[in-house]
Amino acid sequence: MKEIDRFHAAVNDSRATALNIHRAGRKTIGYLCSYAPEEIIHAAGFHPMRLFSSKHEIILAENHLQSYCCSLVRGILEDSLAGRLDFLDGTVFPHTCDSMQRLSDIWRMNGKYRFFVDLVLPAKLNTKSAAIYMEKVLARFKEDLEAASGKKITDTDLSDAIVLCNRIRKHLFFVYEWNFRHPGVIRGADLYALVKGAMIMDKKEAADLLAGVVSSLEQSAPPAGKAKRLILSGSVCDTPDIFDAVEKAGGAIVGDDLCTGRRWFDGLVAEDAPPLSGIAQRYGNRMTCPAKHAGLTARADTLVSLVREHKADGVAFLLLKFCDPHAFDYPYLKQALDKQGIKSMAFEMDDQQSSHGQFSTRMETFIHML
Amino acid sequence: MIYAGIDIGSITAKAALIKDDHLLDTIVIPTGYHHLNAGIRVFDTLLQQAGLDRQDISAVVSTGYGRASIDFADKAMTEILCHGAGAHFLHPGIRGIIDVGGQDSKAVLLDDQGRVENFAMNDKCAAGTGRFLEVMARALEVELDQMGKVGLQADNPSKISSICTVFAESEVISMIARQEKRENIIAGIHDAAAARVAILAAKIRIRGPIMMTGGVAKNSGMAAALEERLKMPLVIGSLSQETGAIGAAVLASGLQL
Amino acid sequence: MSEKPVDKTKIRSAKKMRDLMTTYYLDALSAQQNNKQVAWITSGGPVEPLVAMDIIPVYPENHGAMIGSAKMGEDLCGKAEDMGYSSDLCSYARTDIACSVVKGGPIGGLPKPDMLICCNNICGTVLKWYEVQARFYNVPLFILDTPVCHTGYSPEIAEYVRTQVDEYIVFLENMTKRKLDHDKMTQVGKLSFEAQHLWQKVLNTTAHKPSPMSAFDAFFFLALIVTLRGTRTVVDFYKELIAEMEQRITEGISVVPNEKYRLLWDNLPVWYQLKWLSSKFSQHNACLVADTYTSAWCGAIKYIDENNFLDSIGQAYTRIYLNIGVDQMAQEVLDMIRFYDVNGLVMHSNRSCKPYSFGQMDIMNIVRKKTGIPVLMIEADMVDPRSFSQSQVENRIDAFMEIIKQREK
Repeated sequence: MKEIDRFHAAVNDSRATALNIHRAGRKTIGYLCSYAPEEIIHAAGFHPMRLFSSKHEIILAENHLQSYCCSLVRGILEDSLAGRLDFLDGTVFPHTCDSMQRLSDIWRMNGKYRFFVDLVLPAKLNTKSAAIYMEKVLARFKEDLEAASGKKITDTDLSDAIVLCNRIRKHLFFVYEWNFRHPGVIRGADLYALVKGAMIMDKKEAADLLAGVVSSLEQSAPPAGKAKRLILSGSVCDTPDIFDAVEKAGGAIVGDDLCTGRRWFDGLVAEDAPPLSGIAQRYGNRMTCPAKHAGLTARADTLVSLVREHKADGVAFLLLKFCDPHAFDYPYLKQALDKQGIKSMAFEMDDQQSSHGQFSTRMETFIHML
Repeated sequence: MIYAGIDIGSITAKAALIKDDHLLDTIVIPTGYHHLNAGIRVFDTLLQQAGLDRQDISAVVSTGYGRASIDFADKAMTEILCHGAGAHFLHPGIRGIIDVGGQDSKAVLLDDQGRVENFAMNDKCAAGTGRFLEVMARALEVELDQMGKVGLQADNPSKISSICTVFAESEVISMIARQEKRENIIAGIHDAAAARVAILAAKIRIRGPIMMTGGVAKNSGMAAALEERLKMPLVIGSLSQETGAIGAAVLASGLQL
Repeated sequence: MSEKPVDKTKIRSAKKMRDLMTTYYLDALSAQQNNKQVAWITSGGPVEPLVAMDIIPVYPENHGAMIGSAKMGEDLCGKAEDMGYSSDLCSYARTDIACSVVKGGPIGGLPKPDMLICCNNICGTVLKWYEVQARFYNVPLFILDTPVCHTGYSPEIAEYVRTQVDEYIVFLENMTKRKLDHDKMTQVGKLSFEAQHLWQKVLNTTAHKPSPMSAFDAFFFLALIVTLRGTRTVVDFYKELIAEMEQRITEGISVVPNEKYRLLWDNLPVWYQLKWLSSKFSQHNACLVADTYTSAWCGAIKYIDENNFLDSIGQAYTRIYLNIGVDQMAQEVLDMIRFYDVNGLVMHSNRSCKPYSFGQMDIMNIVRKKTGIPVLMIEADMVDPRSFSQSQVENRIDAFMEIIKQREK
């Protein structure tokens, strides 16, 4: 997998990545969650780039967000206030949780970038009126982008962008499936760098590089290792050390429902549907963020079948400290797993994590219990 | 065959030797800055004390905070597994463990073979750990090892409601300012710490009999507060501090080398 | 020694209010025997259709406030933590979820719901909380999704919410197997509209110097507009309350005996410390004359058309105080500072309520810049006393009041 270095490079320096893309003619619009319609941003001639915290010490954001706000939200605000995101031309905030909602206000009020949009998506994903609303909000977003770029977005632009984003999704899905059949061969840190890199680098470059990864994997068939098979469940996991700790403890990651993992690339946009309907429908069908409602047991059903399909030995919940939607779901998800006799354990995470020692102790013990 | 266990904690290093399913010897020394040196020192001193050589030892398991630094160990295992094995070795009937150490507090559920069935650990917050008691002892100007005894003399324990160490410290300071009795404040601190640990125990639905291990087991006031919270007596042996090292030695005997 | 004089500062209507709330809870608790259905609803949700359809509305948030006031929060929060709920979650949600399981709290738990109505105009937390309860009680959940109006109300939002109001009525018709009586709905709508006007009038009385009541009284009298709006009871009661306030103004009776300083409160109350906080501020001759919280139940009245109630509540329920941008919230705070002529702002940074608390620091900076009045931020939680340090808060209040006294010299 010689391509992996390019992904690590993009992950390690999103600024340089954005500046290169800018030189090639695309301005960057940052986004903050996996419900951002990258297809529309790309079709408008912008480069959609997911923002993460660079994990610098929180200094400037202390004047805007209290300590009981999650490290992701505080960290991204810190980066913006400190000028580390000056390469951005704009940002889009899809509505998800309460903290992101307020971050968007604070961001707008301390405005630094030319383009700003709140994409107030529905919180419900399972009713007809919500689907209609979703499509209308996306149409409005398209108009906003057109106004920003001064260029009309045609259906062909949208279709091309959909095909491109679908290529990335299909390739990542292949890598995940391959990884599940040959656990322990691809390092977790590499696997998640592929996903995160694809959120950061140029879309076409990501799709082409991933095609290379796919073809090299297709030609190899290493034997499966003896590691314990784990599913990761939770929100954002942006700490590569965690994956190393899992592997050191004798585990191998065989699947996830993470916002920085499968949830981001899950499901394809129908290429034969009207573009905006297709994009809206995908959000309704793919893995759900707990800040959205897709039914009372949607997330538990998905998680249990994920464990079954991937023949996993256990589930590690990676819960970002102060992430309310995930914290509310944890007891019921755990209960659903308990009912099926699936072992699980919760790990509280923080972008500014200081006690990796404790994480390793718990992970080793958990894997030993499986 | 003789097996050794070495437990490098944040404050003390412990080692134990077992032979043919019985305990041969144990030792406790301060850890200091260098984990590997502490491991070598505690191991060699124990061997000397027992009149043995390194060659006499069939296998070594390391555990504790500094377990990864012990390069001469055959395997490193977590203190949760080792406390489980150690408690089962000392008292085969034990089903639950409360381990309050310097950095972490844990509640562990064991099956009838001494295997870990479930466990819970404190989150980032230090309330309910040895560190929390240390901060409070300093604020009250009491020697850490005297806290238990002093706390038991309370006639009207104070109530500390804050769960955060920093908040709790400011609460304690305002109690000092109000000239509340030191004994009562200490009893309040023990109860506040015990309440945090009891939440861990409830999370895993702990069962009795429960053994208390770790350095804080020596604090009689904290132990009493925990018994009150858990509504169950605690088994506290003279080897509470060495339980992890003993467990490591037990697990060493089960290694297939 | 003479006989103890009657305490004139006491508000007489408080007793009647207590009786009304007791009757309401007794009705709700005996709903099943009386063949009535119970709907649990979020505090910001449209209750009027329930009233029109003779369904008893029950408010877990009001229950949370009762638990907090009864100082039962610590125990129940701990129980929720035992169940696996993080101690960082909303303490209303935690205590309510725990109460459902252990049947605890000041009234032994709420009556079992037949349905749940969740309107997310106050936060995303209620969505998760009601999902938990819908699974626990195994009853239908209706979600009224009111998109956040960061900068305004768009035609898409209007259409989406209006459609959901119809879906809500259909949901209730299916639950009750009865059709909505539109005449009754109109009547309930008018009563709700009138009650909101009256509630605003009650709150406005504190603009008088000295103030006849305080925000601490408003926290108490609020329960009625939250739980029973749309009924005649609320309208009648608030009329009496206004009369009493006007009488107090005429007689010069103030709630703080020597009111010298007037303060504005932001965020939910610290339910378990109301008494202490109230007397703490009184000692400094300071009266908390108004707050951003209780005015949320009449703040969107400008959007209501009482003659076209169902068509207009979409906007009224979507554009409430918490469902707008922080800059608009700051504007409302500035308006209140002017209207009530206050000397300082006290902000409760409430660990339980992220949408209310995040953005407070920006509001604080705007207020400082535009008015120059001192602002105090208190770290606490509305129900969980473990996040409150009395000595720390006391120190901060004393220092804050010293600054105000110096400024107003």
